[in-house]
Amino acid sequence: MKNLMEHMGVEPGRLQFSWISSAEATKFVDVVKQVTEKVKELGPNEKFIKKTVKVA
Amino acid sequence: MDAYITKIKAISERLLKDGTVEAVIGFREGTLPTMSEPCFIKRSDDVKDLVWNANCRINLANYLTNRKEKIAIVAKGCDSRNIVNHIIENKIKRDQLFIIGVPCKGMNDKDTGALQDNCATCTHRNPVIYDELAGDLVEEQTGVDKYADVKKVEAMTTDEKWAFFNNLYASCTRCYACRNACPLCYCPTCFVDESKPQWVGKGEDPIDVRTYHFLRAYHCAGRCTDCGSCEAACPQNIKVRQLTKKLEKDCAELFGWEAGLTLDKRPPLDTFSIDDPNDFIK
Amino acid sequence: MMKIINIDKQKWAGGVESLSKSYRLFGPVKDVDCHNFKELKQGEQPDLSYGNTKLSPKSVVFPPSEAMFTYSLDESNPEHHILKDVPKDYSPRAVLGMRPCDAKAVSLVRMNFDTPEYRDPYWMDAYEATTFVGLACENPCASCFCTSTGCGPYNEEGLDVLLVDNGNAYIAKALTEKGEKLLASGGFTDAGDASAVDAKKAAAEAKITAKIETDKLSEKVIMDLYDAPFWHDVAFACINCCTCTYACPTCWCFDIQDENKGCEGVRMRNWDSCMTPLFTMHGSGHNPRDKKHQRVRQRFMHKLKYFVDKYQKGIMCVGCGRCVQQCPVNLDIRTVSKTMNDYVAKS
Repeated sequence: MKNLMEHMGVEPGRLQFSWISSAEATKFVDVVKQVTEKVKELGPNEKFIKKTVKVA
Repeated sequence: MDAYITKIKAISERLLKDGTVEAVIGFREGTLPTMSEPCFIKRSDDVKDLVWNANCRINLANYLTNRKEKIAIVAKGCDSRNIVNHIIENKIKRDQLFIIGVPCKGMNDKDTGALQDNCATCTHRNPVIYDELAGDLVEEQTGVDKYADVKKVEAMTTDEKWAFFNNLYASCTRCYACRNACPLCYCPTCFVDESKPQWVGKGEDPIDVRTYHFLRAYHCAGRCTDCGSCEAACPQNIKVRQLTKKLEKDCAELFGWEAGLTLDKRPPLDTFSIDDPNDFIK
Repeated sequence: MMKIINIDKQKWAGGVESLSKSYRLFGPVKDVDCHNFKELKQGEQPDLSYGNTKLSPKSVVFPPSEAMFTYSLDESNPEHHILKDVPKDYSPRAVLGMRPCDAKAVSLVRMNFDTPEYRDPYWMDAYEATTFVGLACENPCASCFCTSTGCGPYNEEGLDVLLVDNGNAYIAKALTEKGEKLLASGGFTDAGDASAVDAKKAAAEAKITAKIETDKLSEKVIMDLYDAPFWHDVAFACINCCTCTYACPTCWCFDIQDENKGCEGVRMRNWDSCMTPLFTMHGSGHNPRDKKHQRVRQRFMHKLKYFVDKYQKGIMCVGCGRCVQQCPVNLDIRTVSKTMNDYVAKS
């Protein structure tokens, strides 16, 4: 899924996967921080988003 | 080809006459010089209509889904791989089928007459499963680069990739010929047709068009045999195999998997293995 | 009195340029590997060398996706839950170089959108804003069968102007006032002579050898055809895609959809197709046409029987051959029509 998303032009980092146990609170915090940083770096999603439907 | 046709007719006639099967799925002559029409033959008198030529593009496994009767089916290499898929996915039972295998040297593009792209790089021309052959097995191609076009896209920047697929789908009318010609697309209700919830808009908005193609392709991951039925069906000549081929390549690289070759192994996306690659999970 | 104008091909491009000042122009342009009707950009010329376009020009008056209303669900907005018309550009537009078969198709579709009881405002407003300039067909495709559908390569029905390619010039027949106005606006004023047209027309018609058989359709009993045993065989190959209906210049069905983004929404209509199960799906979940042969039967019965009986104007097909050419599994309306035409119900 991630490969295919990136293959069709979605920025690497826009889609991230993680496996966190309910007991891993620190890992959860770290992952959230990392994801936020990465996505902030990429800026707002301008590609795979439909603002208003394009119709005639 | 004539020898194939004689053999297909003879086998079909025998099976219908002796009651082994109730019907034969094959091709009959079309009304245009570059077309053949899938057909369903129930009477042995009608086997004379059966033909075989380089216009038998549509994957006949598509017509097997959920059938209950005993059927003979004419199957080239890719069709046979999709029959394997169908059996694995419980869409048909092996003992319902009599597979008339047709070793294949490729189908021709209906407009240009040239060998179809997928056939040019096909490495499974011979049926992988059959009860009787309509001709001698043919030599398999070796040393072909199946993924030259996928690699070209992989080498692009993110923006170039995005633009490439925008152009690719620009003329899509969402007629769904690609989906409906695909033997894998047998869901009773496709996600694009659902309304509660509505996953994707139904108009010609480019994001909706892309979402359709992307998700349809993903549903074929690990199942697609690159039979080219979708691309042959597209009335707009869109190279719709671009995404499914990427998935085919990934499945080969990540799982060493080629779809539809054996009844003895589950496809990678419906099994768990301790060796599954999981580098993408952080 | 029909006006005949001679358009020197040297002056054509300049004329198109002038027309673009008073009309939004649509014409055949080459996509990647085929022609389609598109709105011409500033300075763009229609490519009149095309054979036939992949899709018909019906989209000029009947876009595949068209906004009808916008609305807001935001209750703090005093006008929430009120459908508002979407502003539309119905300034004069013209289609340049459409085939006579596609023009006849527009007049068939009009019977549906413009009736004594109902007038479809979107289709009709676009239709009335449009001047249809046809280009007679000199080299019909092998799959064309317009001469047996009450149409033809030089057919004038539905057109405002018919252009005939006569070597260095186009012979332009102004068929309506709208057409005369367009020719004048393009600066096309040289008086012409239509004497060459009849022979050219006969030559073009003679090139069309494919036929559709329809002569006995009107005398058939609807229920006999409906219950005929051949539908399963006819429909077997069909994969129920919308290729035939989207390519067809006479198919007019649409589906209305609301699309919301947050509290703001658009009510739009999209082309729909009787080939899909969703087309007839009821809110209850019941589907009166949930089987493939029922849907295939509907398409052919509509075009070749219901329409014939309802309007007494022949079949709802102009013989453009697109569905024949593009069908992925070679379902051929000519074969189906013959089967229906020849069918005799067992008593």
